[in-house]
Amino acid sequence: MSESAIITTNNLNLWYNGKHALESVSMKVPKNRVTALIGPSGCGKSTLLRCFNRLNDLIDHVKIAGEITLDDENIHAPSIDVVTLRKKVGMVFQKPNPFPKTIYDNIAYGPRVHGVRDTCELDRIVEQSLRHAALWDEVKDRLNDSALGLSGGQQQRLCIARTLAVEPEVILMDEPCSALDPIATAKIENLIEMLKADYTVIIVTHNMQQAARVSDYTGFMYLGKLIECGKTKQIFEHPAEELTENYITGRFG
Amino acid sequence: MDFTGKTNGVTPRSGNTARLFVLKERSVKSVFFFTAAFAVIVVSFILLFLFRDASPIFADVGIANFLFGPVWAPTAAEPLYGIWPLIVGTLLVTLGAMIFSVPLSLGCAIYISELASPKVRAVLKPAVELLAGIPSVVYGFFGLIVLTNFIRVSFDIPSGETWLAASVLLGIMALPTIISVSEDAISSVPHEYKEGSLAIGATRWQTISQVLVPAALSGIAAAIILGIGRVVGETMAVLMVAGNAAIIPDPIWNLLSPLRTLTATLGIEMGEVPVGSEHYSALFGIAVVLLIITLIINLSAVAILHWLKERRTTTAGKQPFLAPETRRKVVFIAEMLALAVLLVFLTSVSWWLAPVILMACCLWLAGRPYLSEKRIQTLAFCLVGLATIIVLAILFIILSDIVVHGLPALSWDFLTQPPRDLGREGGIFPAIIGTLYLIAGAIAIALPLGVGAAVYLVEYTREGKITKVIRTGVDLLNGTPSIVFGLFGFAFIVLYLNLGVSLLAGQITLALMVLPTVIRTTEESLKNIPQSLREGSLALGATKWQTISQVVIPPAVPGIVTGAILSIGRAAGETAPIMFTAVVFSSRFLPDSVFDPVMALPYHLFILATNVPGSSMNKYGTALVLLLLVIGFYAVAILVRTHFQNKARG
Repeated sequence: MSESAIITTNNLNLWYNGKHALESVSMKVPKNRVTALIGPSGCGKSTLLRCFNRLNDLIDHVKIAGEITLDDENIHAPSIDVVTLRKKVGMVFQKPNPFPKTIYDNIAYGPRVHGVRDTCELDRIVEQSLRHAALWDEVKDRLNDSALGLSGGQQQRLCIARTLAVEPEVILMDEPCSALDPIATAKIENLIEMLKADYTVIIVTHNMQQAARVSDYTGFMYLGKLIECGKTKQIFEHPAEELTENYITGRFG
Repeated sequence: MDFTGKTNGVTPRSGNTARLFVLKERSVKSVFFFTAAFAVIVVSFILLFLFRDASPIFADVGIANFLFGPVWAPTAAEPLYGIWPLIVGTLLVTLGAMIFSVPLSLGCAIYISELASPKVRAVLKPAVELLAGIPSVVYGFFGLIVLTNFIRVSFDIPSGETWLAASVLLGIMALPTIISVSEDAISSVPHEYKEGSLAIGATRWQTISQVLVPAALSGIAAAIILGIGRVVGETMAVLMVAGNAAIIPDPIWNLLSPLRTLTATLGIEMGEVPVGSEHYSALFGIAVVLLIITLIINLSAVAILHWLKERRTTTAGKQPFLAPETRRKVVFIAEMLALAVLLVFLTSVSWWLAPVILMACCLWLAGRPYLSEKRIQTLAFCLVGLATIIVLAILFIILSDIVVHGLPALSWDFLTQPPRDLGREGGIFPAIIGTLYLIAGAIAIALPLGVGAAVYLVEYTREGKITKVIRTGVDLLNGTPSIVFGLFGFAFIVLYLNLGVSLLAGQITLALMVLPTVIRTTEESLKNIPQSLREGSLALGATKWQTISQVVIPPAVPGIVTGAILSIGRAAGETAPIMFTAVVFSSRFLPDSVFDPVMALPYHLFILATNVPGSSMNKYGTALVLLLLVIGFYAVAILVRTHFQNKARG
């Protein structure tokens, strides 16, 4: 990969309850591109994704060895504050998880916890984030309604808007469309395309067509190992490894 | 199933046996229906008898005069029956207890659910449950001996039996309820909310204070209301430490004034009142008022929960209650008012407390913008940890005081001899046996009725009008203060059924009191049995009753047993329900039949502590034995539960 990398992992290993869940993963994630992680269930792609914002810290009995850097800084270094890291590395989850608050408060939550108090400023951020997430027109008249009243697709775009509101550098997406219908999925995919101008997106998906459609780079994982990583076109058309080819052509999965 | 046939043991049922089966099913169902309806019958009997005996006073004095009359002097030459001071006393004690209890409980609940490591949590949760297991008369005993003395010395006043003592003691008693229920509520907030908030870069404290606690608000509100219910209905502990002067504190915020609650009045006067007199009727009037107050508390709990749920899932078109700006102002004003009230209260205790708190507030308001979120988190975690330590310290102080002073009294003679010299000398053998008799009888009555009712509610009906009525009945029964059971037992079982003050009357009264617990816990464990098991059995052609008795109930047994043991523990520690129905203070002999009165440990301790000076050693000994007995039951229940939980997890 010739482009400048924003995240690199070097020989990353992770054990969960003694089980070796990630084995010697070394990869580079290029800046302002969409990188997809594909692979069969349980291959460690979500685990890898959750390493990038250290969300695995929440789980007991997880041991990590190896190095992950963001902007050339080791994210496990003692000088790195995990809260600051997560501000830089946003995340959208598999199941939409809006807070049980109003639509407005869901978006404003992030800026507020990072110290924005001014109401005008918050209004501006909320509108901008919702516009950016292509949700503004649908919700602008009911910002004070509960976010739980939105449809699944709207909720997921709300979660994306919520992430955008804290202006991260990287957005992690953990199978963001798996709980959505095809129309909502198409909207999210368009959104991802637009996001890459300003953000770096890493998306985990079990849907190979989706990976082919939205990503510039693709990494294929199998049993905790990163088998192959490169330009999406190359991975899908001329994979270097036989394992990758077998998976992509649907011989297992 | 009928396995006597030939081919493979299974034959189609002939017409006759089929009819027999239907008949059996029907009769089983009606038995269960009766047990379920029993709760409703009991509630209506309680209401009926309380109103029957209370009506003369309402007629003679008038409801308004009764409720708002400023003087309670039932034994004066010209008796006055105004319960206003008692109502105010109840409200003030409750208010004080909540101010003491809510911050500590929330801190402790947050610590247990969010900060403690799994190992620490495994210790803390049972510890809090133990706090719940201590009988109220033991709390009262501790309050009378230790707490009131402490207050008397620290504030240099003639008697420590004050509003402050009552509020602190009742606050302690409300701790376990509020902690466990709100801890449950916080723990059951979906994990996704927490991850979502942390992924945005919120600190743990921001996540807790702005996402988890608001999401758990309905559960926390329920916890606080349950705590209020516990405090309002408490009799023995408050009676022993509140001083019981039927006055309104002067000035109203004077925490060091004695006062008297509705429940304490019943506890004190019910034993000495001539049956059928005006005074007797007035006491039943108080019981009615008490019942209505607890009813209002329970109903408001239901309403608040409903409202919060509604608000959270509301879909569209609803304007928020107030515009955000105004709401912020209203909240601010409310906070300032609450602070002002608190400060005024504290001036009555000590002149320097108010300025110190005021200064801390100013410091916080001024310093807030300069503190990083990290610092605020550290500060908040310190406070939360402090709250937990205080709760544990309270538990430790109570237990160690009673164990240290009680152990020297324990001896073989103490456990096997009858009391002498009004309990100053000798042992407590008849009291131990009496308590065992009482709880054995109570559980023998409550268990079949309670399990039957739960089976009917879960297995035989769909949610509808009938279940709603029954459930409301169970809820009402659950919220009824134990002293009201005592009065009902006296009016209905002792007098109306003419059983006299007897073991049987006490057993029935206790059984009615623990019935809701048995129903609830059984219901819970039945609901936990997966529907697929029932369907699997029914699909094999088993009848409903066969399915219930052979497939549903066996795996639910651990839950039912846990509930039963908890009920036994509760029954063993209760004083108020048996005070007028079953017990005598000093008896050298064991009861010959269920129609004789008995001694009981809680009542024995109560009389020793309040009426027999110079029995220090035996008081502590009795308290220790009672404590060990009750906590023993609770510990067994907790063990049974964790054992089967672990087993279920595999």
